[in-house]
Amino acid sequence: MSTKYTLGIDIGSTASKCIILKDGKEIIGKSLIDVGAGTSGPQRAIDEVLRDAGKTLDDMTYILATGYGRNALMNLACKQMSELSCHAKGAAFLFHNVHTVIDIGGQDVKVLHIENGVMVNFQMNDKCAAGTGRFLDVMARVLEVKVADLAKLGAMSTHRVAISSTCTVFAESEVISQLSMGTDKCDIIEGIHHSIANRVTGLVRRVGVLPDIVMTGGVAQNFGVVKALEEELGQKIHTSPLTQYVGALGAALLAYQETIEE
Amino acid sequence: METIINEFKEIAANPKKQLAMYKKQGKKIIGVLPYYAPEELVFAAGMVPFGVWGSNNKNISRAKEYCATFYCTIAQLSLEMLLDGSLDDLSGIITPTICDTLRPMSQNIRVAMGDKMPVIFLAHPQNRATSYGLKFSVNQYTNVKKELEKITGKEITDADILESIKIYNASRKARREFVKLASEHCDVIKPTVRSAVLKAAFFMLKDEYTAKLEELNQKLAALPICKWHGKKIVTSGIIYDNPVLLAALEDNDIAIAADDVAYESRAFRIDAPEDIDPMMALAKQFANIDCDVLLYDAESAKNNRGEFVAKMVKDSGAKGLILFMQQFCDPEEMEYPYLKKALEAAHIPHIKIGIDQQMHDFGQAKTAIQAFAESL
Amino acid sequence: MSEEVKVPVKAAKTEVSPGVQALRDVVENVYAEAREAKKRGELVGWSSSKFPCELAEAFGLHVVYPENQAAGIAANRDGEVMCQAAEDLGYDNDICGYARISLAYAAGKRAAKKLDSATGQYVIDPNSGKPLKDDSGKIVIDTVTGKPKKDPKTMKPFTVVDDLNEIAKLPEGEEKERRTAALKSYRQMVMPQPDFVLCCNNICNCMTKWYENIARMHNIPLIMIDIPYNNTVEVENANIEYIRCQFEDAIKKLEEISGRKFDEERFEKACANANRTAKAWLKVCDFLQYKPAPMSGFDLFNHMADVVTARGKVQAADAFELLATELEEKVKTGGSTLPFPEKYRIMFEGIPCWPKLPDLFKPLKENGVNVTAVVYAPAFGFVYNGLDEMVRAYCKAPNSVCIEQGVAWREGICRDNKVDGVLVHYNRSCKPWSGYMAEMQRRFTKDLGVPCAGFDGDQADPRNFNAAQYETRVQGLVEAMEVNKKVREGGK
Repeated sequence: MSTKYTLGIDIGSTASKCIILKDGKEIIGKSLIDVGAGTSGPQRAIDEVLRDAGKTLDDMTYILATGYGRNALMNLACKQMSELSCHAKGAAFLFHNVHTVIDIGGQDVKVLHIENGVMVNFQMNDKCAAGTGRFLDVMARVLEVKVADLAKLGAMSTHRVAISSTCTVFAESEVISQLSMGTDKCDIIEGIHHSIANRVTGLVRRVGVLPDIVMTGGVAQNFGVVKALEEELGQKIHTSPLTQYVGALGAALLAYQETIEE
Repeated sequence: METIINEFKEIAANPKKQLAMYKKQGKKIIGVLPYYAPEELVFAAGMVPFGVWGSNNKNISRAKEYCATFYCTIAQLSLEMLLDGSLDDLSGIITPTICDTLRPMSQNIRVAMGDKMPVIFLAHPQNRATSYGLKFSVNQYTNVKKELEKITGKEITDADILESIKIYNASRKARREFVKLASEHCDVIKPTVRSAVLKAAFFMLKDEYTAKLEELNQKLAALPICKWHGKKIVTSGIIYDNPVLLAALEDNDIAIAADDVAYESRAFRIDAPEDIDPMMALAKQFANIDCDVLLYDAESAKNNRGEFVAKMVKDSGAKGLILFMQQFCDPEEMEYPYLKKALEAAHIPHIKIGIDQQMHDFGQAKTAIQAFAESL
Repeated sequence: MSEEVKVPVKAAKTEVSPGVQALRDVVENVYAEAREAKKRGELVGWSSSKFPCELAEAFGLHVVYPENQAAGIAANRDGEVMCQAAEDLGYDNDICGYARISLAYAAGKRAAKKLDSATGQYVIDPNSGKPLKDDSGKIVIDTVTGKPKKDPKTMKPFTVVDDLNEIAKLPEGEEKERRTAALKSYRQMVMPQPDFVLCCNNICNCMTKWYENIARMHNIPLIMIDIPYNNTVEVENANIEYIRCQFEDAIKKLEEISGRKFDEERFEKACANANRTAKAWLKVCDFLQYKPAPMSGFDLFNHMADVVTARGKVQAADAFELLATELEEKVKTGGSTLPFPEKYRIMFEGIPCWPKLPDLFKPLKENGVNVTAVVYAPAFGFVYNGLDEMVRAYCKAPNSVCIEQGVAWREGICRDNKVDGVLVHYNRSCKPWSGYMAEMQRRFTKDLGVPCAGFDGDQADPRNFNAAQYETRVQGLVEAMEVNKKVREGGK
């Protein structure tokens, strides 16, 4: 049997990610471009992952697309699947005992319930952006700090404040009023982390708090949010250095599965 | 068959054209807001009952004059259409008041319409199946009847109402039959088609509609029952008639086995008796509706409605349920935890997807539908 | 609908008049008696605020009021966690905050002090508490942070939600004891669970599904009095007949529930008490007609608790009569319980945001704005004679009447109580109440010639209120009232 290469492409709302797998086991290439659907990001990510793996598109046995921009890739991909199935698959590959996946993306929060590596139930955030990556972007702008710095600033908090508004506009105003009262930025940031954790916890409870819990998606890099979630849920949360690639990894795994089924 | 389906599609997509057509025929048309207005009386008066359940193609703008943001878009957009002239061909509108949004909305509409058109108020009883509840329904329906008579200048006789009841019973029966056939022939009656066929009923005179639907039903019945390789589900909610949303079901090979939807089956589950006083028959028709999020359940301590829906899923052979949760619809929201409980007890997977008529980007809903299909 | 809450004014806490104290005691007793009754194994019912209490009173049944309870929980700052607990049970966050709090409570959820599971100690919220003062009363500044130090005695633990059913399942031992001890114990958080529910949807239709949910949770009987919405100021006879029949059915069901016969005499007595309470309530409300007023109209929100939970009891009537006497005295002496000089008089439209009372009060106080009109006055001050009139009275609740009636009530008290402006709460929790407010606002301005300002808020969920927006709106209203005043004075 010849070697099979599968490509998983995850086009999110704010980033494009690719993974190439060898025989459904070994990651031989990955790429991440900081812009997502509707931009040059997807093409650049594909070019880069091929370069990284030293392969061409023709070497790929199967290509599977996922994420917000998955439909735009149908000229290239053999199949598209929802990012929920892909995140479930990717997380189960990285963490064998996973039962819950929390994925906080740019505009969605998803909580997946996994049994034996397969998604059996899920919840997504309703209507508003509070609790998503977008919420962090808005708040970082108001606070005049970089999103990437939020976690370490939050860690310096001593008297975390409560940011409780349901709606992003109100929360923004809450933050501004804290700022104008002279509240320490670190305390506000820690409050924001907990506010996100609080919103997400509600979703997790609806599925059931079932360990092991794995967090995926870009926001998982913010250890402040991870810590706040651990506190709110009273459970350890696992993350991976590949956190942003979990969707793409799942897509590459599902692509490999397709080649076997074919 | 294609021709009939296309006719229904055309009508469902262009209610305004229907309105203009009936107007041109010299008919008077009465708008009917949700839920459970006795349309039979409008028909008996020789007028056209015309369903007003918001719109997928409008933005809320003038209705903001009356409403804060946290009201269901069905009500807001119905008011919008009354204000922006879309419904100027109506000769009146009936405003039921069975939920907390429709209560004040009945007042806003009356104020906003002023002398433009008569606004016919209707308060249903919740203790509807008792003798005094029935009597109250008859009283309320009599008020509606009187207002309709004022508009036509003609008396509505008992014979007219009985005739109308028969036509409506036939129409309800045909729609129930269609729902069954749609499941058996879901390769032909895809979600978009199913929705269009049922939606057209709101914009057509029921005798015309029923004749066409019966013809379609006959043609469907003659086809061999399809072997469906996709997934079958039951839908629940108030309304889900957005073509983008329906297409998302089709794209994922999801067929609809049955529904618990206000705009669909909840509207034609129960017939009116044909062998008693016709006004009382209409009251009984309303009283016999049960297992409905909008109506009081006299057996409150039981989970009748949840179990009813769970049974519907089992009986229809569906694999799961999609609840299209109308944003800001508190009766539907209040019933969700117990629906969930009943579904879980019966091991029926489900998802809840929040929608409203102002939604234009269905990205998240599409993803959820796809993931649900993948997980079934 | 209302709750006796410590008014966010320091003076009021220390200087409570005998009348106000009596009113507080009445409500306290309603809760205490229900707790005692439950302990004795007697039945306790939950009732909506404008259910005909005279019926249950005729059977001597103990009844408590979830709306009043929810307001109290919200005012005790536990609205948010209880709302979230309901959301975790699957109730959408768009549902009325009172309903969410009540449903979480009915399901066994309770606000509790946060425990550190390792140490068994409470986890203190570093942002709670008051600044530490030295012996001379000066605030002590922390030399490291440059900020005031906190008085450790005033600092409080974080609040979390615990579950009675979970606790009950624990084996006897330390954890069970700790968690039980951590549960909050103010009266609204220790209200007995229901044995039957009394629902009247004159207040809203949300009530219908809310009480059905409770009946399902506890598998208990529900008595439903359905009051159809009214489109005219006059209530039709058909409505009266429909509702009176329901009253008769309710009596039969109460006989089954209580195992007792309907006591005509007791019923008459309850009706007489309810009438006396209503008259005394109206009398108290009418003192706001005086200029300046002898009290803060905000107090009426607090006294509503008595009207809701005890209007059929003689103690409530007595207490209101006592308060009326005190106010009469205040008028004579020219005093007022309002803790600032009254510069403007407004109608506060809607239910207050209970979790945010200090925030609501602050800009009003700063601008000398007294609330001299609330629609609760006419809406709950109903006096009747005989059963048909009683039925008619129960047809008229804030959210069951047509816009003309709603406007007439409000414009009536605005004129009588001489308001300069109207502050409208667009209450996310209350769709029927806020549903025709925009049109009402236009009518107030047109008919009364006073400015109106609206703000977004919520009666129980603090996440839907924003202090900054509110302050700006109040400021806008004050500026408009000022201009209006100048124009009027200039016109003379």
